[in-house]
Amino acid sequence: MSTQILSRRHFLKSSALVGGGVVVAVTLPGCSFDGELPIDAADTALVPNAFLQITPDNKIVFYCPADEMGQGIRTGLATVIGEELDCHPSNMAVEAAGSHEDYNNPEFGLQLTGGSSAVRVFYEPLRQVGADTRALILAAAARDLGIPAARLSTDNGHVIAGDKSYPYGDFVATAATLDVPTETPVKDASAFKYIGTHFARIDAEAKATGTASFGIDIDLPDMVYAVVLRSPVAGAKAVRFDDEAARRQPGVQTILPISSGIAVVADSYWQANQAAKKLTVEWEDVALTAVDSTRVRADLSAALDADDGVEAASEGDFEAGLAAAANTQSAEYFAPFLAHAPMEPVNATLRIEGDRADLWTGVQVVGAAQGLLERLTGLPRENIRVHNQYLGGGFGRRATLTHVVEVTEIAMATGKPVQVLWSREDDLRHGVYRPASLMRLEAGIDADGKVTAWQAQRAGGNVTPETLENALPALLPSMPEGLLGGLHGAVEFIFGNWAVDHPSVEGLHETYSMPTHTITHTTVDHGLPLTFWRSVGHSYSGFAVESMMDELAVSAGLDPVALRLKNLEDKPRMRRVVQRAGELMAAMEVPEGHHLGFASHSSFFTDVAEIAEVSVTDGKIRVHKVTCVVDCGTAVNPDTVRAQLEGGVMFALTATLYGEIDLDRGAVVQSNFHDYPILRMDEAPAIEIEIIDSGTAPTGIGEPGVPPLAPAVANAVFRATGQRLRELPLRLA
Amino acid sequence: MIEFMLNGEQVTFNGDPETPLLWVIRDSFKLKGSKFGCGAGLCGACTMHLDGTAMKTCVLPIAAVAGKTVTTIEGLGTPDSMHPLQQAWVEHNVPQCGYCQSGQIMTAAALLAANPDAAEADIDTAMAGNICRCGCYPRIKGAIQSVASNTLGYDAMAEEVAS
Ligand code: FES
Ligand code: FES
Repeated sequence: MSTQILSRRHFLKSSALVGGGVVVAVTLPGCSFDGELPIDAADTALVPNAFLQITPDNKIVFYCPADEMGQGIRTGLATVIGEELDCHPSNMAVEAAGSHEDYNNPEFGLQLTGGSSAVRVFYEPLRQVGADTRALILAAAARDLGIPAARLSTDNGHVIAGDKSYPYGDFVATAATLDVPTETPVKDASAFKYIGTHFARIDAEAKATGTASFGIDIDLPDMVYAVVLRSPVAGAKAVRFDDEAARRQPGVQTILPISSGIAVVADSYWQANQAAKKLTVEWEDVALTAVDSTRVRADLSAALDADDGVEAASEGDFEAGLAAAANTQSAEYFAPFLAHAPMEPVNATLRIEGDRADLWTGVQVVGAAQGLLERLTGLPRENIRVHNQYLGGGFGRRATLTHVVEVTEIAMATGKPVQVLWSREDDLRHGVYRPASLMRLEAGIDADGKVTAWQAQRAGGNVTPETLENALPALLPSMPEGLLGGLHGAVEFIFGNWAVDHPSVEGLHETYSMPTHTITHTTVDHGLPLTFWRSVGHSYSGFAVESMMDELAVSAGLDPVALRLKNLEDKPRMRRVVQRAGELMAAMEVPEGHHLGFASHSSFFTDVAEIAEVSVTDGKIRVHKVTCVVDCGTAVNPDTVRAQLEGGVMFALTATLYGEIDLDRGAVVQSNFHDYPILRMDEAPAIEIEIIDSGTAPTGIGEPGVPPLAPAVANAVFRATGQRLRELPLRLA
Repeated sequence: MIEFMLNGEQVTFNGDPETPLLWVIRDSFKLKGSKFGCGAGLCGACTMHLDGTAMKTCVLPIAAVAGKTVTTIEGLGTPDSMHPLQQAWVEHNVPQCGYCQSGQIMTAAALLAANPDAAEADIDTAMAGNICRCGCYPRIKGAIQSVASNTLGYDAMAEEVAS
């Protein structure tokens, strides 16, 4: 049986997009769907725009344009629109938006959830939609009641006229005949009823009772289940396979080669999974087959030794700055490949019936999923619906759509509704990874601690070109393969040779004012698929920069907080955060044998400082407590801000203590939670959070808690042991 | 044919006796609240109660369940009639992505049924088998402690009696 169907480069990898990181800030023509709104509504309901539906019985539905992956965005954006619509967020039914250009992330021009951007970019637009819709309801009420709108007010989904209260739903019939007002003035912050107030997450009850629906929970009549056996080495295709034994397993319906491997289709997931173990497959060798972790590390070192990186940023005269320094330091920091390991393994369920297709999954790129289905099935875009479910964790992983390609190929081949489900082993071994990074820093400070010279060189893979390459087939469903190939090549060449992919170097100097800095980049790509991972470049740059700041402070005998403040003179927001964190740190009562480490880092327009309280016993690092100070502008839901920082700290602590994806002959070594450990409750630190509200518009919160944690812990470990650990995960000598 | 009690009802399963309980519950009985996270007994997403004890069901063959009593998250409480821990989960805004939470709650419920006054160390030990990738641990612990220290009106054995 021949297994080579389509080249991986142009097909299997037709996947992807983003997970964090400021990405593709371009609007690609034809990349989003502008047909009928994907909203099911009765004729009697009011659908004034893509975001709201109000029924005569006053059910108010909010179609949330960002995907809920745990970050609390359904609650957050319901709060934003509910504030102006004047409806308590808990009284709205919040549903995932389907695919439509009206739901595009205004900054990216694509329907994607990532880059800690959703509250920031939808804050103004959704307030406007809420205010305009409320004005529409008031205008309709004025007509129906014969009372001037100026004498009406609203409260929680009701129009108030004197001592009478009428549900919004009473006025939808009239409202449907009126033009929707535009540019209605929005509230002053002092009048906010819901923004800035604590209340329960709107999905908490469903998630506490097991009734929240995730992609994996979709169960269609006559559905079959598919498990795919993929090459241990990314990109290698099957040369031949033997499915004799597997076919004889109970429940097996068919076994077929698809672009990503060999698919086993059975009556149940368990049967498909068991049968797949009986397959024997011979895979081709690819360039990556020759790569192991030692080689990656050596190649990164050699790239930095060559000292011919592309300049990413440069100001001032580095050599002169160094000469003027009272104290200089240079050091090399390393961060490995990492997997996202979201708790819910990726999965997709597809039903193709006649000329219609319905996809149930949980992805960060709903529009791209629809575009991909259009490309693969040839069905008209308006006949393809994507029903996005709750995402069982995202972190960047669910912006890649390999599973959607798989389910489509299998559904087309079998003619049946299919669910493709990845195992944890599939997730860790066939995923898309945070690139390994080697960073060399050299810096000088004057006697006061002011940085006079700063140089950072980074070597490693890039996430944007690969993401873009993966995304193009989905975003441009009608562009022919040949043209796409040309585009891919161009993108790769550009980022490999002369442009610097911003996420590769982000965070290497921007937190501070460093008038003299040079940032360079060398692309080293071994062919392991890469993508955005919670906080992207900041996840390693924060470690390097904040470790170096600590090394400078220690070598010069300066207080680490004072040193940072010295270099924040024209960054008032971060200055206040560091100042406050410094006060908290100074007041801490540290138990005998415990030590504190400090780090601060700006990412996604948010400023965070973290203090880690650490002890080291018998060579084991234990983090007892983490104190965070954050300024993310207006905290729409302060409790969600706290939850995201708590989660960010835990996510980062896993990477700090354990996270490592190794390669052996090109294959990922780790396979499940025994060798890719995730922090557990008995190792989880206490967390204290202080929110400084500078009153500016909201900025990111899903990712900014991650970058300062590793260096805060490493800096504390140095104080505990005298060992300066410059590699992640932290390992004591 | 394997017979067992599922959330208070007698049920039978006719498939492969090696099938793990998790998949029997999810795919044959269509109760989707219990989750698949690792398939290797390492994460706790699939936790149910077997005769009142928290068990990882992704590695528990259905044959071992014959004649026993299984309680899933659906049997513990419903949105209309939540178990005290489920209420505490809502009050503490515990869930983020939510995927691990059925398993967390089932482990916690078994712990408190056996040890209503569980101390922090007991909670740490009991919950160490349940991973939360979103890092909800401080809230999970806080929610459990709120029920452990406030047992007023909480009949920890109620669910098993109902089963
Ligand atoms: S799915 Fe059972 S322990 Fe992870
Ligand atoms: S809430 Fe996401 S894994 Fe626990």
